[in-house]
Amino acid sequence: MIHVFNYKDKNYIYDVGSGSLHESDKPTADYLKAKAEGQAVDITYLTDEQIQEAIQDCEALKAQGLLFKDEIKTYPMKSNEIKALCIHICHDCNFRCRYCFADEGAYCSTREAMSFETAKAAVDFLIANSGKRKVLEMDFFGGEPLMNFDVLKQTVYYAKEAGAKAGKKFLFTTTTNALLLSDEVIEFFNAEMENVVLSLDGRKEVHDAIRKSINGKGTFDLIIDKIKKFISLRGDKSYYVRGTFTAKNLDFSKDVLFIAEQGVDSISMEPVVTDIDDLQIKKEHLPAIEREYETLCEAYLQKHAEGKGFNFFHFNIDLEGGVCLSKRVSACGAGNEYFSVVPNGDLYPCHQFASDKEFRMGSVFTGIERTDIREKFKTSCLFTRKKCENCFAKFICSGGCSANNYHFNGDIDEPYETTCAMMKKRVECAMHILAEKKAKNF
Amino acid sequence: MIKTIAKPAERKVTACGECRSTCQSACKTSCTVGNQSCERITREEKIERK
Repeated sequence: MIHVFNYKDKNYIYDVGSGSLHESDKPTADYLKAKAEGQAVDITYLTDEQIQEAIQDCEALKAQGLLFKDEIKTYPMKSNEIKALCIHICHDCNFRCRYCFADEGAYCSTREAMSFETAKAAVDFLIANSGKRKVLEMDFFGGEPLMNFDVLKQTVYYAKEAGAKAGKKFLFTTTTNALLLSDEVIEFFNAEMENVVLSLDGRKEVHDAIRKSINGKGTFDLIIDKIKKFISLRGDKSYYVRGTFTAKNLDFSKDVLFIAEQGVDSISMEPVVTDIDDLQIKKEHLPAIEREYETLCEAYLQKHAEGKGFNFFHFNIDLEGGVCLSKRVSACGAGNEYFSVVPNGDLYPCHQFASDKEFRMGSVFTGIERTDIREKFKTSCLFTRKKCENCFAKFICSGGCSANNYHFNGDIDEPYETTCAMMKKRVECAMHILAEKKAKNF
Repeated sequence: MIKTIAKPAERKVTACGECRSTCQSACKTSCTVGNQSCERITREEKIERK
């Protein structure tokens, strides 16, 4: 399968089977759209010479395995080794954000913090079930993890010590709203966290409209200087400032650029996942969102050309040194090699399922009890997601977020088409950016 | 005229499981397998550069 698309005046051909990206002239692109993809494109203007040239070019690439390459349909070899845990170190939050999927931190249950004993048991559980894997990941999540900072810190030290004894290395990440980002926390994060994700939605009025404190006031002014300070001290270690856009700010490229203007050089902006009517991203918003991604793409390239470039997560794509086919087909590993642990030690497939008792799979104290749920997640892969079969982006997205699929369509294998449309547009932008970066060497 | 922009590197090993987990959930930083790099290829390139 190939995907031929235009971006402004450029024509690109993405070969799904080989994962190669090509640029072509318009006659070749139109010829392939009409002949290979069956699109209703007028090719009556093509001369015999142009058609012959297009056919010859295609044959040459086909011979090299870079065009019309057969797609391998090998199912991934999935083991029972666990490599990552999302630790819900605190089911409470000091913000009250309207769009929060986690019931403003409480996950439809009691507001509580994880004890050190439970966190220790989670570390032990991960090590004991990690088989031959040497690198393990632990992601501190909430609620707001910094509301239980002492336990978070103790857990990191314990994991490092226990990991060293077992011959394992831990990589830690924390996701925070930045309110409690003190000098002590920054110092600890810079010493111990492989990655830190900080939440900021963009312009003050956009951020404050949704991300409110417990007393209902906007939180932008409470966090912006803390985020700037954190970044100034972060050095070359990884971090992301991530925002959420909703139906209220479909001009979200302005928010990304605003964040970049604050000195942030690593940014992510995610579409909201909610069923709140006035915030939810709906099908009718897609044309505006697709235009907005193009606007952001142009601004991104312009900033790079000016030497003021920043990293926008969704515009990264690795077509040369990317992950292998097995990984592309098996995706995130939720419910099999990745689990969430809630404050009482119960295990869920991932944090997005942690409000739903039906998905309780066991506990870090007793192990995995619901092997039926594990089997469902373990056998789920790109090839069990039938809607993905004819999608050009399938080996880039691997069939979407299982939780998203479940919450919108009732089945982890049933992709949510609104999310798919945004994904496909971002992938096209990312491919165009890759071509521009190579052409202009930045 | 067709010009190749990018093609995948040849691989010695696949399915080694060294790569990081790829949470695509929007409430974190939603990774996809497309924006992830192979840990082995990255490591080998680093060694070659040295």
